[in-house]
Amino acid sequence: MASLSTGAIEALANGSGWSEAVLQLLNIRKIDGGSGPSRFRVMMSDGRHTLSSFMLSTQLNYMAEENLLVPNCVCVLKRQVTNVLKDGRRVVIILEIDVIKPADASDKIGDPIPYSDGQSKGPQPAPVPESRPPLQPQNRNEGVDTNLKRNFAKKIPSALPDTPGGSSKIVPIASLNPYQSKWTIRGRVTNKSSVRTWSNARGEGKLFSMEIVDESGEIRVTCFNQEVDKFFSLIEVGKVYYVSKGSLKIANKQYTSVKNDYEMTLNGESTVIPCEDSCDVPMMQCDFVSIGDLENREKDAIVDVIGVCKSVDELTRLTTKANREVSKRALSLMDMSGKLVTVTLWGEEAEKFDGSGQPIVAIKAAKLSDFGGRSLSASFSSTMMINPDIPEAYKLRGWFDKEGHAMEGQSLTEVRGAGRSLLENWKSLADVKSEHLGHGDKADYYSCIATIVFLRKENCLYQACPSQDCNKKVVDQQNGMFRCEKCDKEFPNFKYRLILSANIADHADNQWVTCFQDSAEAILGQNAAYLGQLKDSNESAFDEIFQQANFNTFIFRNRVKLETYNDESRIKATVMEVKPVDHRDYSKRLIMNIRSMGAK
Amino acid sequence: MAGILDVPKPRINCSMLSQFISRAICFVGRVEKVHPTGKMFTVMDGEGKTATVELNEPLEEELSGIVEVIGMVSNKGEIMASTYNLLREDKGIPFDLELYNEALKVIHDFPQHYPFQVAASG
Repeated sequence: MASLSTGAIEALANGSGWSEAVLQLLNIRKIDGGSGPSRFRVMMSDGRHTLSSFMLSTQLNYMAEENLLVPNCVCVLKRQVTNVLKDGRRVVIILEIDVIKPADASDKIGDPIPYSDGQSKGPQPAPVPESRPPLQPQNRNEGVDTNLKRNFAKKIPSALPDTPGGSSKIVPIASLNPYQSKWTIRGRVTNKSSVRTWSNARGEGKLFSMEIVDESGEIRVTCFNQEVDKFFSLIEVGKVYYVSKGSLKIANKQYTSVKNDYEMTLNGESTVIPCEDSCDVPMMQCDFVSIGDLENREKDAIVDVIGVCKSVDELTRLTTKANREVSKRALSLMDMSGKLVTVTLWGEEAEKFDGSGQPIVAIKAAKLSDFGGRSLSASFSSTMMINPDIPEAYKLRGWFDKEGHAMEGQSLTEVRGAGRSLLENWKSLADVKSEHLGHGDKADYYSCIATIVFLRKENCLYQACPSQDCNKKVVDQQNGMFRCEKCDKEFPNFKYRLILSANIADHADNQWVTCFQDSAEAILGQNAAYLGQLKDSNESAFDEIFQQANFNTFIFRNRVKLETYNDESRIKATVMEVKPVDHRDYSKRLIMNIRSMGAK
Repeated sequence: MAGILDVPKPRINCSMLSQFISRAICFVGRVEKVHPTGKMFTVMDGEGKTATVELNEPLEEELSGIVEVIGMVSNKGEIMASTYNLLREDKGIPFDLELYNEALKVIHDFPQHYPFQVAASG
């Protein structure tokens, strides 16, 4: 029993603490955590007492899963926190543990008896060799870097500052868990969302979330309603805060890339206090993925990337389904893998982005999409940094200035025309058929360069409801009035709208497509009202327009879907957009295709 | 020899000049310097390299921008121009010389697919 720290169990159980306690593991048991990760409960002995209320922090689960921690092994407890549960029981969370003697080399040491509070005045009260003030953290400076992936700030070995209010101890973020109630974390806010509101059957509300980082790890923190009012204006990205009394729950990994099994919600009791002395708290933690490796990642994965901004597209605006206008901008990032990927920025970040001078751009928590090969989207939970002060950025800059600038770089994202960067899916008309586009459950979209070979001028115009947003065909009442069934109204007039059938061809095949108003006007080069007027007044001029439109070449963006009428299925192709050919862009794409074919 | 306009004129850039000595070629580049005599000017290709073009007759117009020159390559690697054509850029679409150079390389890298020179060697 010589090697065990006799008395350590008692010290740990009553909260007075013990540094580097040498204990024998007697039993380890897996507790299934429902939806969350499973946890391991451990029984430890110091030769005199046993205590079964040890828990392994989830980061150490691998030690149990890989059978490093098995009964009878002797361990040294390097870092732990003792938490008091609501009912007064204490739980020791093991944050760092080393096995110093494997199980097969030892039997159960001594004849320990289960520790209980009453026994603390037992027959042989153990002298506590190092008495510590009970509210001091036990993980002062040792081994803080064990969990670190990236630590951007210089670590200054300083004693942890006092907690304001002094009520609970500062714990590492990595040690937070739902079994613990009294704690304070001290961390830097690396990302803060805007306030979002929701409204559904169960009511409405607002929320915002942020990410807080310290030396040990990171955590996502969300505030709702009253806490939004209370904390939103207080929190500034980049500043350090003390946070205590938040509620912890299992993290929903679907919405976050934050590397923590738990996430925090602030409640009415929570406190957030700015911390001035913050130089030792790291800035942000990123786990950068090489752009070349993005191809091997799953769609929708959340990744951190860093790269040189090779090129930037113009800002474009688009209207969402919810009729909200958003700005977006695409940029191309390249890293030392020599690969490029297109990243889409949204909203304010898109508007403000300045790509001049080919800056280094780091994006934390970008979402990987399989649109047009592989591309990334910076969503509301992403953080973008321009020329960040981190080693990766300097390394990349050095590489780019020396050799990277001369590299062509191969893009994971298909070559795109200005604007619609991520949406294009270039196909020849033969590809569309051989790949059975449109045969799936959802419609397929593709872009092609094709030439008009025939336009059907019969029935290309119809009389539509004159109301602004209604384009329903009207019924001629034969009394000078036109009835719209949709608006349930009669009008003295109508407007002409186009529905044009066209046959388009490229080098490989041809295809009948339907063009509606805008695309038909683009092809014919005239607006529908004028065409309607011509049709009624000057048929030869009307015919002439159709003749002139033949054999013009455009970029078509088409939607294809298998549709069934009267038990007969056929592919219906609709033109979504018609644009003039950008020959420069087209040539680039052709050259790239030739080169990639040549490489095979 | 048949007139220069009747034979194939492979498109080349500066680095290919030496392989086409005494042959008819077509060269597209940006006009750099025009010699005071008007009988000579230099052109830069899409790789930033410069070639010299010699004319039979002095120029009768201002020369600038992108020019397409048809001529023979001399032993010294100069282009003895038979004719030239200024490519107008005033329609708002600038000529992308680098891209042209990429296309040119494709033609030379895959001669089996671009058999324009067959007649020339005959």
